Amino acid sequence: MTETAAFRVIHARVRRRRHPLVRWYRRNERAVLSATGIVGFFLLWQIGADAGVIDKLFFSSPAAIAAAGWQEVQNPRFWEDARVSGWELFVGSAIAIAVSVPLGLLIGWYRRLNYAADPWLNFANALPRAALIPIIVLTAGLGIEMKIVVVFLGGVFTIMVATVEGVRTVERHLLDVARSFRAPQRLIFTSLVIPGTLPFIVSGMRIAVGRVLAGVIIAEFYAQTQGIGVMIYKASNSFLQGGSDRMMFGILLFTLLGIVLYETVGYAERYFQRWRPGLDLEETT
Amino acid sequence: MAATTPLPRAAGSPFTWLRAAIGERLFYGLIGLVVVVVAWESTARMGLYKQTLMSMPSSILRVAMEDVTNGSIWPHIWVSSQEFAIGFVVSLVIGIPLGLAIGLFRRVDYLLSGLLAGLNATPNVALIPLIILIFGLGIEAKAVVVFLSAFFAVVVTTFSGVQSTARRHLDITRSFGGSPWLGFRTVVLPSTLPFIISGIRIGAGRALVGVVSAEILSANVGLGFYIALKAQFLDVARAMFGIIIFGFLGLVIGEGVRAIERRFEVWRPDLHH
Amino acid sequence: MERHLALSARGVQMEYRDRQSGRRLLALENVDLEVPDGAFVSLLGPSGCGKSTFLKIVNGLLRQTAGEIKLHRVAKGREDAMVFQDASLFPWYTVTDNVAYGLVCAGASRSAARERAQPYIDLVGLKGFGDKYPYQLSGGMQQRANLARALAVDAAILLMDEPFASLDAQTRELMQAELLRIWNAARKTVLFVTHQIDEAVFLSDRVIVMAARPGRVIADITIEIPRPRTLEVKRTPKFQEYEEQIWKLIGGQYEPAAGATAS
Repeated sequence: MTETAAFRVIHARVRRRRHPLVRWYRRNERAVLSATGIVGFFLLWQIGADAGVIDKLFFSSPAAIAAAGWQEVQNPRFWEDARVSGWELFVGSAIAIAVSVPLGLLIGWYRRLNYAADPWLNFANALPRAALIPIIVLTAGLGIEMKIVVVFLGGVFTIMVATVEGVRTVERHLLDVARSFRAPQRLIFTSLVIPGTLPFIVSGMRIAVGRVLAGVIIAEFYAQTQGIGVMIYKASNSFLQGGSDRMMFGILLFTLLGIVLYETVGYAERYFQRWRPGLDLEETT
Repeated sequence: MAATTPLPRAAGSPFTWLRAAIGERLFYGLIGLVVVVVAWESTARMGLYKQTLMSMPSSILRVAMEDVTNGSIWPHIWVSSQEFAIGFVVSLVIGIPLGLAIGLFRRVDYLLSGLLAGLNATPNVALIPLIILIFGLGIEAKAVVVFLSAFFAVVVTTFSGVQSTARRHLDITRSFGGSPWLGFRTVVLPSTLPFIISGIRIGAGRALVGVVSAEILSANVGLGFYIALKAQFLDVARAMFGIIIFGFLGLVIGEGVRAIERRFEVWRPDLHH
Repeated sequence: MERHLALSARGVQMEYRDRQSGRRLLALENVDLEVPDGAFVSLLGPSGCGKSTFLKIVNGLLRQTAGEIKLHRVAKGREDAMVFQDASLFPWYTVTDNVAYGLVCAGASRSAARERAQPYIDLVGLKGFGDKYPYQLSGGMQQRANLARALAVDAAILLMDEPFASLDAQTRELMQAELLRIWNAARKTVLFVTHQIDEAVFLSDRVIVMAARPGRVIADITIEIPRPRTLEVKRTPKFQEYEEQIWKLIGGQYEPAAGATAS
């Protein structure tokens, strides 16, 4: 019995020639759209401000900000502020790294110390430093020392937590290999633990970037003496006189600084993680 | 965290027994806690440092009792909770769908990635003057700060959750003729849920920080204000009390989210011990 | 009397363009293939010979660049269903929901699909495990669920992409025997992809041998060992003759390895 059965036919895919411009766009779509997004944002901002939809008193406009920025950069007071903020940032971060890495290595390495110290570390890390500022001021005053302390606190626990995690994540069986070769403790430390922990330390530093920058700003807000943060604050108070131009300029400065620092440390992070297949730290933001 | 070894024989000090009963981690953790509290109290009483630096446990306990019983602490906690709740919930309502959209639609990702990176690089505190300018000094302004603090963490974790959806699993939906919408509901969403919950946990922590920062700088009520006020009046014990409340709230939220995790993710092997 | 062909492929070609070098790579070159209704046919070859690619084209996950494939249309539902290689159950679904998933994709409601899936869960030997999650099952059991999912859809032709590749040697043999038992009960057409010679010979009516670079068919061998077959069949001389024959065909493409069961 022959029966012609119905068949479903799968045809080959038809290849179409695409216009070269379309092909170029496809290859570079990411760059094109990113750029469009950013440029578009500023463009819409400017148009909105000019049209009155966006209140210039609060938000200013890209053109005005640029003009204000140009003014500021020529003002020696601005550079004084920048120097102060920069110094707070640098010293606080440096001391934070100098303290957190050795301590972190210790806490990570000795199990009992780890169990005792871990909850405190997590507690301190989660604690909002802003809450501590009023108390810090009581002891350290309103000067540059207080700000350095705040910056320091922002960075130290973040990096310490990351360091501890790095030490504890050193692969068990690698340690076993080293021990079976009777490697001395010091050698294990320098050849195994430290290289293994470095990526974590650098990742911790990356997370800390946001925190130390915030530390600078909030400390300056509170203390009201010198620095770009103070400039932002004072400018916002004089917004009726057009201060928001300077305020936004200050904010964008920090944005820029944040991006630069973030990318730089990110670059170092990728460098140190060349050999890792895939790292999945919880806080990648 | 139950004891993995049976209770030891009668010989041995009470410490050994305790350690075996509650596990090493908790045992040394408790020791650490006791040591810190005792050291704190004794160095304070010995006058080794100024009281205005950190106060001491007994004082903190005393003022805590006072302020709890006379009710002065509750309005502050209430206002701070409101700011937290409003800002955080809005960040979830906006952040999770946005994270999903960015993860699902490549073009949305490209368009927004530059802007989001810029927003993330801007320390939220720098935006506080601007926010106060627009919203004034009330709860709304603080809620906005809270929103900004949590927003980015929520978006990024949701996004990376969508990205991590196994191509393999979506292939299965396609193979059996399921629509992309079905694929979204049955593959992408369940796959992303662990990440979303993780984002909620991290975002909540950030939101808490946001509440404090905003209040310390400009508030007339709220826990952050309470801390700043007491500190300015050199009432360090109360200021520490306020700080401890924050720490405690953070702990509660963290544990709460972990409980949610266990409830909603029965299928994850690593959550079962 | 003409038996229906479940699947018929003519001149199928799959071409890739290398992103960086711009060179054209032929994953499949001019493949002609016929699978009659109810037959068990294996595609056997080294990695890179395009056997999985061919399967994916039939299933619709990929689209060939030339050639035509005809699938015998069934009255209702899909013509083909795929059994994937390892770890392809959804971890967030129970076994029952996983097995029912193919039906849900076809439009059934969740409860109706779960009901229709139940007999297939029993058929593959997972009775009572319906409410377990994948992480609670062993590798062999997960593959049984995988199989059940494809069976539940009641497609005419079953496409199996190295389903036992991730199992250890003993479980693998057991699953091969199990598969024949289930196939006898369900009587589907099967197109089975593997790179293990003994597996192909044991399971199939016909073994289609492929070579790589470019992917193409080099032989079509009918296995005349009577059914039903048990695992002992693997030690018989006739079986080993077939293995030897195929080994010689493929020989030049592998590095020399000890034993026919080398993988």
